[in-house]
Amino acid sequence: MRTVGIVAIAVTAAAIGASTSGWIMSSRNDSRNGVVPTNTAHRGPAAVPLGDVAGAATFGESITMPNPLGDGPAAVESGKKLFRAMNCAGCHGYDGGGGMGPALNDHYWRYGGAPVQIYKSIYEGRPQGMPAWGRALPADQLWRLTAYVGSLGGGVPPDQAEAALHGDTVGRTVKKSQNNAAEGGNGVEGQ
Amino acid sequence: MARFSLACVIAAVSVLSACHPADDSKGQATAAHSATLGSYDLAPGGAAGEWTSQARDYANSRYSSLDQINTANVRRLRTAWTFSDGALYGHEGAPLVTGNTMYTVSPFPDRAFALDLTKPGAPIKWVYDPAPSPMAIGKACCDPVLRGWAIGGGKLVYNLLDAHVVAVDMKTGKELWRTKMADVSRGTTMTMAAFIVGNKVFVGNSGGEMGVSGWFAALDLETGKELWRAYGTGSDKDVKIGPRFKPLYPQYRGKDLGLKTWPAGMAQHGAGSSWGFVSYDPKLNLVYYGTSNPGPRVPSQRPGDNLWTSAVFARDADTGEAVWAYQFTPHDQWDYDGVNEMMLLDLPINGTVRHTLVHFDRNTYAYVLDRATGEVLKADTFAPQNWSSGFDWKTKRPMINPAKTPKVDEEVKNICPPDIGQKDWEPPSYSPRTGLIYAGIFNICMDLTNHKVSYIPGTPYDGMEMYRHSVDGKDGNWGALIAWDPVAGKRAWVIPEKFMVMSGTIATAGDLVFYGTTDGWFRAIDALNGKVLWQQKLSSGVIGQPITYLGPDGRQYVAVASGVGGAAMVQSALPGLPARGSTLYVFSIDGLDVNGAKVPATGSKP
Repeated sequence: MRTVGIVAIAVTAAAIGASTSGWIMSSRNDSRNGVVPTNTAHRGPAAVPLGDVAGAATFGESITMPNPLGDGPAAVESGKKLFRAMNCAGCHGYDGGGGMGPALNDHYWRYGGAPVQIYKSIYEGRPQGMPAWGRALPADQLWRLTAYVGSLGGGVPPDQAEAALHGDTVGRTVKKSQNNAAEGGNGVEGQ
Repeated sequence: MARFSLACVIAAVSVLSACHPADDSKGQATAAHSATLGSYDLAPGGAAGEWTSQARDYANSRYSSLDQINTANVRRLRTAWTFSDGALYGHEGAPLVTGNTMYTVSPFPDRAFALDLTKPGAPIKWVYDPAPSPMAIGKACCDPVLRGWAIGGGKLVYNLLDAHVVAVDMKTGKELWRTKMADVSRGTTMTMAAFIVGNKVFVGNSGGEMGVSGWFAALDLETGKELWRAYGTGSDKDVKIGPRFKPLYPQYRGKDLGLKTWPAGMAQHGAGSSWGFVSYDPKLNLVYYGTSNPGPRVPSQRPGDNLWTSAVFARDADTGEAVWAYQFTPHDQWDYDGVNEMMLLDLPINGTVRHTLVHFDRNTYAYVLDRATGEVLKADTFAPQNWSSGFDWKTKRPMINPAKTPKVDEEVKNICPPDIGQKDWEPPSYSPRTGLIYAGIFNICMDLTNHKVSYIPGTPYDGMEMYRHSVDGKDGNWGALIAWDPVAGKRAWVIPEKFMVMSGTIATAGDLVFYGTTDGWFRAIDALNGKVLWQQKLSSGVIGQPITYLGPDGRQYVAVASGVGGAAMVQSALPGLPARGSTLYVFSIDGLDVNGAKVPATGSKP
């Protein structure tokens, strides 16, 4: 039941994430941050720093939480079995290379690639066809899937989750054609 | 792999030169033609300068009688204008042209555009946004595509990815009706081109990898009301098999074969969906379409012939009753859907003109069937394959090579062709002036490992892990354009291509054939001998279907969409495959458009 408690914390943190996102942005050490400062002399609605309020959704501090089952071979291997048994491979590919669903072995994560973020995507489902597995699977199985997905090559370590959120990463030279990188899914599984 | 290589040289078939007629604008063979030439029914007719259905005619010829652009001047083709629909998924449809307006629909989110051809640059007249559910993106096996749209009765009609059909007023862009056909959350999508005959719209579903029930349906064009629906598996009642069903071969005789050729409980998730092009014979009043692979794709989970998957149906267009059926790949083990187009050609077979149906199956057999009875007249392989050791004329089934049957949790190397066949849905064209069919094909194989799967609604019911590669090794070609002689049952010539050819082709009375490659070349070739006469690199790969039409200025244009995607993405690891795109290209001689001088009406033979 330990993991269930952690889920509750994660979801609660997500709920308050929107209100704390401004705090996260303004906590960065450069006060300008490449953005023209808001004219705070004006006392109307524009005084609200819109960029902060409307920033990206975030888990706040919980984004850095590691997978409670760890990322070792036992968790990864049991996650791989689930990945196949639940038909995840049919969409994301047997190697996680994508297909009907996004690739999970690249470095593009629409909803984040840190363990808590991956967990949340599996738990809730996503609008473009990803089922909500939180209805069907207990928390420990979701964490095993999370461990496997993180192991495929694109997983974001918890301590780098904040940097990834802001794009503070290093670009890569792509030798092969990698179409549809923004959508994930370089290939298809056939008709 | 050398044993699979066919002679990859362009060799004109000399006999065809003698068949080259001085004038034939009607698409009908005449007495002056060689006996090897066939013909077809031009219906529904219409002006030569328009292009009003995906295949141009019910027969699916994709042949245009326009000849302003011809072998003598095609070198002068230049871009007249371009248009982006803003959607980056695979562009598989053909724009339609009627009444000085072009109608095109984007892949998901399935937005329709009416373009005014009377003005330079063809500005937008209206845009229609159907707002389909984004959930559909992740339920579509092979990219959220749309293979085409239809016009009739003043309406533009097409399928939405989320399993609805919509009709839009062609003048105003206003939605006239919307019919929900299935629940997308359980894996049914719709990607095929709606097909209109008279007051009926014919549509079918996709989802062969999702454990759906496959079906084909007719809707009323005026109201969108469903008139009938016939399933691809199940009881005779569900499949609409009744007293009119007169199958020629014994394996199709018996009650409820759509249930009995499956293990108990499996037929309802057995797919047999219909996502390819439809054709129609007005004299017989029959519609023809193919059915998809059976589900799940792991064959050991569904022993039996798995009727009526990977098959063709001939159905009464009014009632939906099945009249005959023929299964191309019984108990399909490789994902060889039977959905590829059925071209309705009248061909001299063994000296007698037969009313035939020509079908290039994914399983690499080019079939010629009698379209009234389903009799198999010819079955010849058009590309390298090794799954079948030949065609058994006694049973009318391909013989299976046991070395290439898949195994669970064990890799079987080098099965040819792979799941998408040596030819997928991309439609060929037929020129009655050469008697040849022009088809984009593949040259690929797969290493296949099967994994057992469970049915979970809304997830893939699939189980095939594949590594696809060229027939000819690491640096081998992945595609080709072939000219096929349907009477002789063999290739006339071939143009090898580095990448898969997944575009439709068109043939014209200018003795040109147009096709595109998935790496983005759009080519015009001599219909007689395959010589490349003109080519242009487009911004993305071509998997769309070209068309040709006369503008309001009397000028002949050629249009094609550039936007790689769909099953062509199996090449995504191949260096040189372009990025996605969303651009429609329109070409004319010297790139002139409506700003240029009006072309005299005598300049073409409409």
